[in-house]
Amino acid sequence: MGAATTVAALVGRAGGRWRLIGALSMPAGADLEAVITALGDRAIDADPRLAAALDVHRGEAARDLPRLEVVSHAPRRLAVVAASDRAVDPLVATATRSGWRTVSGSGDSMDPLAMSTMLLDATVTGILVGAGDPPAADERRRLGEMTALIAAIAERRPELTIILAGGMAEHLGAFGDVGRRKGEVMLGPAATVDVPGGPLADLLIELALPHDDARRALGTGAVALAEVLDRRVDVVEIGFDGGARASAAPGVGGGSPTLDLAVVPDAALAPPDPDDTVVDRVSIWSSTWGADRHRLRDRLRELRIAPWSDAISDGATLRMAAARAALGRLAEWTPEWNDRVGPDLVVATGGVWAVAPAPSIALALEDVLRRPGACQFALDHARILAPLGSIPDADERRAMMTDLVDDLLAPLGTFVTPAGMRPGRSAGSLVVRSGGGESHLDLMPGGLALVDLPPGTAAVAEFQFRDRVKLGGRGKHFAIDVTGGLAGLVVDLRDVPLRLPDRADLRGELLDAWQSVLVSGRDT
Amino acid sequence: MTTLDAGLVPARRLVVSPVDARFALVPGDRALVSPGDSVVVGAPIIERLRDARLDEFEAPDGVDPIPGGRWQLPVKRGDAAGPTGETMFFWQDRWRVTLGDVADAIESPFAGIVREVQSGTGITIRAAGRGIPGVVALGGPTRGRLQTGAEGELRSGGIDVGSAGTILIVGSRVDAETLTRARAMGISGVVVAGLSSKERRDFIASEARQRAALHRLPPFAVLVLDGAIRRPLAGAVQAVLAALAGHEVAIVTDPPMLVFDRPNLVIPDPPHDLVRIRSGTLSGREGRFVKAVGPRRFAGGVQLEAGLVHLPDGTMAAVPLGDLERFV
Repeated sequence: MGAATTVAALVGRAGGRWRLIGALSMPAGADLEAVITALGDRAIDADPRLAAALDVHRGEAARDLPRLEVVSHAPRRLAVVAASDRAVDPLVATATRSGWRTVSGSGDSMDPLAMSTMLLDATVTGILVGAGDPPAADERRRLGEMTALIAAIAERRPELTIILAGGMAEHLGAFGDVGRRKGEVMLGPAATVDVPGGPLADLLIELALPHDDARRALGTGAVALAEVLDRRVDVVEIGFDGGARASAAPGVGGGSPTLDLAVVPDAALAPPDPDDTVVDRVSIWSSTWGADRHRLRDRLRELRIAPWSDAISDGATLRMAAARAALGRLAEWTPEWNDRVGPDLVVATGGVWAVAPAPSIALALEDVLRRPGACQFALDHARILAPLGSIPDADERRAMMTDLVDDLLAPLGTFVTPAGMRPGRSAGSLVVRSGGGESHLDLMPGGLALVDLPPGTAAVAEFQFRDRVKLGGRGKHFAIDVTGGLAGLVVDLRDVPLRLPDRADLRGELLDAWQSVLVSGRDT
Repeated sequence: MTTLDAGLVPARRLVVSPVDARFALVPGDRALVSPGDSVVVGAPIIERLRDARLDEFEAPDGVDPIPGGRWQLPVKRGDAAGPTGETMFFWQDRWRVTLGDVADAIESPFAGIVREVQSGTGITIRAAGRGIPGVVALGGPTRGRLQTGAEGELRSGGIDVGSAGTILIVGSRVDAETLTRARAMGISGVVVAGLSSKERRDFIASEARQRAALHRLPPFAVLVLDGAIRRPLAGAVQAVLAALAGHEVAIVTDPPMLVFDRPNLVIPDPPHDLVRIRSGTLSGREGRFVKAVGPRRFAGGVQLEAGLVHLPDGTMAAVPLGDLERFV
């Protein structure tokens, strides 16, 4: 259950293994029992014998089946403070990608009264106060007064969770008998400049997400998926109250699998109060809404109030523009992802994709999270990755995932993105060999080239470039194993990173043209 | 149609009870009530500092200050008690105390029981009565006699000085100029279905300018019931508002709500199949939900779960379930 969407999926044993029988997404606010009953009835309509075998009967019987439930919770607010602006920036970067909405201030930019007002605000549920380890000279002269201020706030609001990071740990004594407080006082490592992840981020995520939280379960689900597929998997979620990014890799040589999870409330589809920055970012990705800022802001507010309403026609384009803007914010708060080896598979999940056509989802992901190389995209269409991730026992989780892996992912397609081509002339050619047939394609930089490759079809794509390009490694000749999807095989010959015209009309034409390549199959 | 079918339509509360309203405090503000206190309409609950500043003091002998407590300043002349401030924190042998010279009193807009007081943070009062929830409220807590106004869009010229002290229901939409004029003419508040982002921004800027002038502003609030685009008030909400017309009501901002205390007012449950179309070409219309018809393809090639709605003119329409709402 999410803040905007309620999804029910029916999983049953058929043919000796677990199968996804069906799924139904509805706007939040719909009665959960009605959603489950409607899902059960549809399963009966589709295959009465299978439904009977699964003990699903018309009416209310589906309600009695065992349930696995996860909930995405609204992010809470963390006040981030430090003695200097230089010290507060890495703390904010770490907290913002760790499941918290943040407000921040430092001794440089805020007087004690303003800082007290910020910390006493009713919406603040925790305080992260940090210093370098050891503190720098500019921090040391302010640390004493700031510690006294925060200790006083901690005394006034005993329910607040206080995290003392880095050099602030030395000031634990100022907080008195911390064992008697209702809220915890915790010690954490210092934030690392330019690397927002790490141990402090792990601690903050642990504090931010309740145990039944969908985004927490998304991380463990990603790990199980990576182990079952034996591939590097990235999961990208855009939701009503935030976005999440999980990077999972299977263990190598009997080692443990790895997981990096980032939860970014700023990457919400429609932020609560869309400022000019948010509106401008959405308008960049919209061919319809670019000209009228006020109208666009109104529509973003409406999207926040009723996320499922007005989803047709220009409402659909608004959602995809807002989704791209949210993906952009997610990418900005997780810069360390750019330095990693690219994933083999990117799985999109979240309520925002529930009403979008599959090729549009693939294009949105490719537009924003683009990097040179080849990558397969898939959609968690029934939203069961997080519920599967919530299964406490790792072996049981893997067993379920093994059975369901073919059902849970809708293949969107494979994108091949070479970088470093010279514009204005043919960059080379492509031959796609599949099942004894061949497709030939000339590669013109600046656009998208589509090869119709249906879901489940494997092929080899052989690229011959005129000049050396970056495609994983550098070279002129590449042979890549690809698989089809709802969007087929897409060769993305646009710039990396994507450059869009400043003029709204030109930008709109370009966005429409790219969209039409995937929707109608017309090359640009 | 089954009740379960209608259950697929997102539900919205028509009236909520109990109402716990929160009044924010900032350092320096003085709560004039304590938990458990009973407050009446118009009772002062907060003394709000306009010009808070932080001063340093040494604690008098025999006094053990605590953060968040009141700091009693010495009497300058006469027998009256001296001014007080809010104790903040202790640093380098001196206490930091928030003080100010000018304070405004904030009154409770409804009767109720004080549930919680946290100095510097807020006061929570449980209202005696019920509330109609909105999506946002701008301004501050206010109260007045509810008066029905224009059905469509209210223009600034349509405001009558005879409406001073009332809370006006203005229908589908209102602009910032009308809101500013309403406040200037002594209107206590406005209830509106939609307020666009531009008007909202202009009104907030106007409020900020007024406050900066250090004049005490009369209480005024704008309660937005639906959203940011033009649409008429829902029929079920209109019926409750019509029943409350002529009676005292209050607007609170956290949560955004119109609060009324009429225990004898019976509000019948809206029919379970009554739905309202929030958006799309039929926006604002209401009808009877017939049944859910499963996924349908709509304009732009979008596939959405849909429901059949029987409209009052006798026609039927297939509407995305996400565009519908029902009141409970």
